[in-house]
Amino acid sequence: MRRPRVVGLVVLGVAVLVAGLPLLRGPIELPVTQHHLLHAALLVGAALAGVLCGRRDALRRASPAWIVLAMIAPILAMLLMWPSAYSFFEQHPAGHAFEHVGIVACGFLAGFAGERFAAGVGWATGGSAVLMALLAAFGFGVAPPTAVPIAAVAEPSLQPGASGRRNTGASSPAQPSHGAMIYATNCAVCHGTAGEGVSGPSLKDERTRKNLRQTIEWIENPAPPMPKFYPAVLTAADVRAVATYVQTL
Amino acid sequence: MKPLSVTLPAIGLRVMWTYIATGLAIFLLMLLVGISMRGSQAGWWTIEPGTFYSLLSLHGIGMLTAMVVAGLGTLWYLVSRETGLDARVAYLAYAFFVAGVACVIVSIVPGHYGALWSMLYPLPFTGTYWPTWATGAWLVGTALVMLGFMIWCGQILGALLARYGGLGGVLAVDYVLHNRAFAKLDHEPPPPQIFAAAITAIDGLIAGTAGLTVGVALIVRWLDPTVAIDPLWAKNLTYLFGHTFANLTMYMAVAGIYVGLPICTRRAYHTSVPLVLAWWGTLLFVIIAYFHHLYMDFVQAESLKLVGELASFLAAIPVVVITVYGAVLLVHRSGMRWTLGSMFLFTGLIGWVVGGAAAVLDSTIPFNVDLHNTLWVPAHFHTYLLEGVVLFTLGWVFVNLEQRAGASSGALIRWLAGLGVFGGGALFVLGFYIAGAAGVPRRYAVEPPPGPYLAGIATVGAILVLVGLLVVAYEALRLARLPRSEVAP
Ligand code: HEM
Repeated sequence: MRRPRVVGLVVLGVAVLVAGLPLLRGPIELPVTQHHLLHAALLVGAALAGVLCGRRDALRRASPAWIVLAMIAPILAMLLMWPSAYSFFEQHPAGHAFEHVGIVACGFLAGFAGERFAAGVGWATGGSAVLMALLAAFGFGVAPPTAVPIAAVAEPSLQPGASGRRNTGASSPAQPSHGAMIYATNCAVCHGTAGEGVSGPSLKDERTRKNLRQTIEWIENPAPPMPKFYPAVLTAADVRAVATYVQTL
Repeated sequence: MKPLSVTLPAIGLRVMWTYIATGLAIFLLMLLVGISMRGSQAGWWTIEPGTFYSLLSLHGIGMLTAMVVAGLGTLWYLVSRETGLDARVAYLAYAFFVAGVACVIVSIVPGHYGALWSMLYPLPFTGTYWPTWATGAWLVGTALVMLGFMIWCGQILGALLARYGGLGGVLAVDYVLHNRAFAKLDHEPPPPQIFAAAITAIDGLIAGTAGLTVGVALIVRWLDPTVAIDPLWAKNLTYLFGHTFANLTMYMAVAGIYVGLPICTRRAYHTSVPLVLAWWGTLLFVIIAYFHHLYMDFVQAESLKLVGELASFLAAIPVVVITVYGAVLLVHRSGMRWTLGSMFLFTGLIGWVVGGAAAVLDSTIPFNVDLHNTLWVPAHFHTYLLEGVVLFTLGWVFVNLEQRAGASSGALIRWLAGLGVFGGGALFVLGFYIAGAAGVPRRYAVEPPPGPYLAGIATVGAILVLVGLLVVAYEALRLARLPRSEVAP
C-alpha cells in the first residue's frame, strides 16, 4: 500500500516542478492549442499521482463527497484553462505558475477522490480531467481556420442591368463591403468565412437557389436553428447588404 | 467472484421508485408540451414562434432527462441486487438532476430561452431574443444534469469493478475468449442486465466528459464573450454527448426486458457469447455513431462520415437482433399470460425494431441526403423513445406492480391502454414519417404543406396516447394500493 503512495508523491512533485516552469522562462507566448496540450500533459502526471495516492481498503464504505469532488475537479481544471486574451494569470509568470499549480491540484484531486470513492474509479475521473484538456485543445479559445480573406470580395452593383453575379473584387479590392463585414461578424461562424459551410450549410452558389429577394426574406425570417438577426441586430439596410454579399459567394 | 455485500432490497426499491416516479412525472408534463406543439403545427391553435422554440427546447431536454432518470433508477436497483450500493450517492445524483431541471425551467419560463436542447454554438448567444441570464441558467442547468449523470456512472462503475474483479470481469472478457476454461472453473458471467448498466456507466462517463467540456467552454464564453470557440468542434462534442445520452436511454430500458420478461415467462434470460459480443459492439460504437449528425458539414473530414455510418450500424443492429431473438425464444411456447407488464415489454420491442430500422436508414449516407433535417428524424427517435423506451419502462413498472400485488388488469383496461399508448403512438409517429418522406423540414413552428394536415392526424394520435396513459396511471395506482401478495399473478 505504501509503495504506490511514495511513487505517487514523487510524480506529484515532478508535476508541481513542471507547473512552475513559467517562473524560469518569463511570459510564454504559445498558441492556445499547444498550451492546452501542455496542460493535458500536466494533468496526466497529476491524475496519475492522485490515483496512486488515493488507493484505499475496498471494504470500507466511502463518503459520497469523494465522487462529487472527483467529478467537479476536472471542471475546475477546465475553468483554470480559461483562454482569455487578457488573462491576468497568463501574462504574469507568477500568476501563470499559480494557474498551473491549480491545474495540477485539480488533476490530483480528480484521481485521488475517484480512487478514494472506489478502486478503479480514479482512473476514470483522472482520465476525464486529461480528456477534457485534450479535447479543449482543438476548440476552446481556438477560432475556426479562415479560408479566404473577406477583404478580397467587394459588394456588387445593385443597379438595374448590372449582372449581380460573381464579383471578382477587382473594382475595390482593398475595402471589404458593408455586406462582407456583416457577413464576417454574424454569419461566418456557422457558414464559413468563404461560405463553405461549418455547422451551418454551405452558401456557395446560393444565388442558384434563392434570388436576392428570397435571400432577404430568409434572413429576415429564418427557420431555426438559424438565429433571427432582424430587426434586433441588423437593420433592413444591413440585411440587404449582407444578402447582396451572399449572392456573390 | 462473490458480492461484497448486497444492498437491502427495500433500499434498492425505494431508490428505484423515486427515480421512476420522477421520470414519469416529468414525462407526463413534457407530453402536454409535445401535444401543444404538434397541435400548433396542425393549426388547431397558435403558438407564437418564439414560444414554440422555448417549448421545443424544454420538451427535448425534459423528455430525455425524464427517460434517463427513470432508466438510471431501474439500473440502480438491478445492480444493487448484485452488489452493495450506497443509497446516499443515488440521492446525491438525484439532487443534481433536480437542481438542473429547476435551472432549465427558470431559463425557459421567465427567461424564454429557445436555442433548443442541442444548444449548438453560437445559437445560444447570437441574435437571441432572450436575456443573457437565460442562456446562463440553461447552460448551468444542463451542466448540473450532466454532473448528476456522471456521479451515477461513477458509482455504478466502481461497484461493478469491485463485484466482478475489474473491467475484464465486468465485460466478461474471459467468458468470451476462454469460454471452455471459464465453464470448467464453474464461473458465471455477469447477467445480461449488468451489461446494460456497465455500458451506460462507461459510455456515460466518456460522453459526459465531452458534454462537460463543451458545456464549460460555453459557460466561459457566456461569462467572457472574447473567448473564441470553434463551432465545428462544439458541434462534434455536443453531438457526442447528445447522441450518446439519447441513445443510452434505450440501452438502460432494455434491462427491463432481461429481467422483466423472465418474470412473465418463468424462464431465465441467460448471458451468451453473442449477447456479450453485441454489447461490446454497442460499447465501442455508440459513442462514435454521432458522426452521422455531421454528414452535411462540408468541413468535416469525409472519413469521419464513413466511420459514423459504419458505427451507426454496428452500435444498433447486433444488440437489437440478439436481444429480440432471445426475447422471442423466451416467450415462444412459454404459456405467458398477457398482462399490462408483458404486453408493454413486448410491444416495446416492436418500437425498438421499427425505430432502429428507421434510424439505420437515416444514417445511411445516400438516404440521409434526402432525409436530413426533415421530420423523418423526429419520426425515428419518437418511435424508439415513445414506442420503445417508454413502453419498456411502463412494462417494467407493471411487472413489478403485478408481482407485488399478485394481480393483473382486466381485458378492457389492457385494450384501452394498449390501443391508446401503442395505437395512438403509432398514429402519432406515422404523421412524422410521412411528412419526413415528403420533405417537410423538422423544427419549423409553421410547417409547409403537407405538414399541417399530417400534424393534425398526429395530434389525434398524441391525444390518444395521453388518454391511454391516464388509464395506465389509474391502473398503476389501483395495483399499488392492493395489499402485498406472495402469489404470482
Ligand atoms: C405523444 C407524445 C409526444 C409528442 C406529442 C411530441 C411532440 C413533439 C414535437 C411536435 C416535436 C417537434 C418536431 C419538429 O418539428 O421538429 C418534438 C421534438 C422532440 N421530442 Fe417529442 N413528442 C412526444 C414524445 C416524446 C418522447 C417520449 C420523447 C423522448 C423520450 C421526445 C423527445 C423529443 C425530442 C428530443 C425532440 C427534439 C427537440 C429538438 O428538435 O430540439 N418526445 N416532439
